[in-house]
Amino acid sequence: MARRLSYRQVYWALGTLLALSVLASTTIGAFTFTPREVLRYLSQALGFSPRLAADDLGRSVLVRLRLPRVLLGGLTGAVLGVSGTIMQGLFRNPIVEPGLAGTSACAALGASLMFVFGGTSLLAFASLGSLALPLLAFAGGFAATMLVYRVSSAFGRVNVFTLLLAGIAVNALCNAGTGYLSFIARDPQARNITFWNLGTFTTADWRGVALVAAAFAVCFVWTMRERKALNALMLGEDEAAALGFEPRALILRLIVVNTLMVAVDAALVGVIAFVGLVVPHLLRIARSADYRFLVPASALLGAALMEIVDVAARLVIRPGELPIGILTAVIGAPVFLAMLLHQQRASRMLGVTGD
Amino acid sequence: MSGVAYSAGGRAILADVAATFPGGRVSVVLGPNGAGKSTLLKIAAGLLAASAGDVSYGGRAVASFAPAELARTRALLSQHVELAFPLAVEDVVLMGRYPHFGRSPASRDRAVVDAALALVGIADRRRQAYPTLSGGEQQKTQLARVLAQIWSDERSGEPKALFLDEPTANLDVHHQIHILETARELARAGCTVVAVLHDLNTALEFGDRFLLLDAGRVVQMASRREELGADVLERVFQVRARAVADPGRGDVVWRFSR
Repeated sequence: MARRLSYRQVYWALGTLLALSVLASTTIGAFTFTPREVLRYLSQALGFSPRLAADDLGRSVLVRLRLPRVLLGGLTGAVLGVSGTIMQGLFRNPIVEPGLAGTSACAALGASLMFVFGGTSLLAFASLGSLALPLLAFAGGFAATMLVYRVSSAFGRVNVFTLLLAGIAVNALCNAGTGYLSFIARDPQARNITFWNLGTFTTADWRGVALVAAAFAVCFVWTMRERKALNALMLGEDEAAALGFEPRALILRLIVVNTLMVAVDAALVGVIAFVGLVVPHLLRIARSADYRFLVPASALLGAALMEIVDVAARLVIRPGELPIGILTAVIGAPVFLAMLLHQQRASRMLGVTGD
Repeated sequence: MSGVAYSAGGRAILADVAATFPGGRVSVVLGPNGAGKSTLLKIAAGLLAASAGDVSYGGRAVASFAPAELARTRALLSQHVELAFPLAVEDVVLMGRYPHFGRSPASRDRAVVDAALALVGIADRRRQAYPTLSGGEQQKTQLARVLAQIWSDERSGEPKALFLDEPTANLDVHHQIHILETARELARAGCTVVAVLHDLNTALEFGDRFLLLDAGRVVQMASRREELGADVLERVFQVRARAVADPGRGDVVWRFSR
């Protein structure tokens, strides 16, 4: 076996990958910038150098369109990567992620309710102003995750096939709801069903970046504190309790934290599947299944992968662009099938079926 | 523990159980399926709160321990645990030290992990992924983990306890003996060891004291294996029991039939 990379080396590699992918994502697109232009426009926008009238267009495209998009993409990748890591720990299975378990779809349903009825029927929510959107998305995502968790973990053990089937049912229900709402919607964004089902960063703005960044920061810091507990949970609930953790409270906290960031993100960019599945899987192969490593590393790798996918989405059918979810599915679905096959084989060898 | 009762869903699992598990001894809980053995063990380990009665360690109520403090005092080894993730053996054993360190392990924690790995004889597998080990080696890893958890601290020397819930189920004879003998050595060093074991002969061989449970009540508390007679075993397990002499060891082996 080849010598293992040290954690430090892996972090450096991931950091470098993220920096390069952010640079690529910032410069490549319908409007191409050189790194030198990016620096010039940035320093003008921040007031370090006088604004030149000739640079107005480029500066405006970079600051109003490109940068929010790059940041929202990176944050979305980090959210989905960390969420996949959390959910796989929660369900004690490597083939779970927020897209498959219905968390994202139900959050999107909550968000689309706001887009369609906001300000009219949902008066109570309308009075909450800009918090209404994330709140409704959270309510949807939380309901979905709790439902799927309860159904699949009845009798103490998580049954992966029940989990996947419950996820299919919840996804179908939520997609039907979102489909209906987008059909009756007047808001042009809500009318766009591909937005909800396949995700896009074209609507990125600074307000969205701020919302997702805030949700991610809170949830990430919290998850970092739960890393040992996530490891202990791998052993089972009794073993985790015997190590001094409180599994029931831990599971509830993890569901809340996970749903919060996924819901806020899905309300703004729609549902992007498979990223949360692939990211922890790659990291386990590359280095370790230890959550003390997986949590920070999945944020870095998730962000970097999402930047790369976003660049690809902008390039494939230039000058148009693909919804992000198409590309993540093309990459993620085969990985998912391979993992499913692997699990099936493992359980066959042990002579058990079902889980 | 005294006067311990537990009921779930309106059904009484344990009623008025009183028992003492002294340090330095291996106490074995015996009884047929559904007698409440595992529930008793979980209550004794502080993982389950009794509906009534008191559980205390060295005179101090178990409920007054903080979770991490309790985790430094007693450990639980249960039936063979499978991991869905390729965690390295040493990372699994390090979990036993989680109650002892905050963000990152101290040199003492690393030293204890090394010692525990060496004690159970899997030090050469420390970098290997847990799911690739055989069932017996996986259970050795879990044993190393619980040993690391309650590794005796020379400075304090507080009494520790190890709870075993059918730790040898589905293991081959070699690994059964290895795991039970390691636990017995731990008891000889002063630790309290309480075990639920399914196989009666294994239980009688390995234990020093025996708590016989039936339908949630204590039938007999025996401090020597000779005190457990054929009549009580036949009544509780509803089998015929016959003691067969083992001249090599100077004791008996039980044969059971319908």
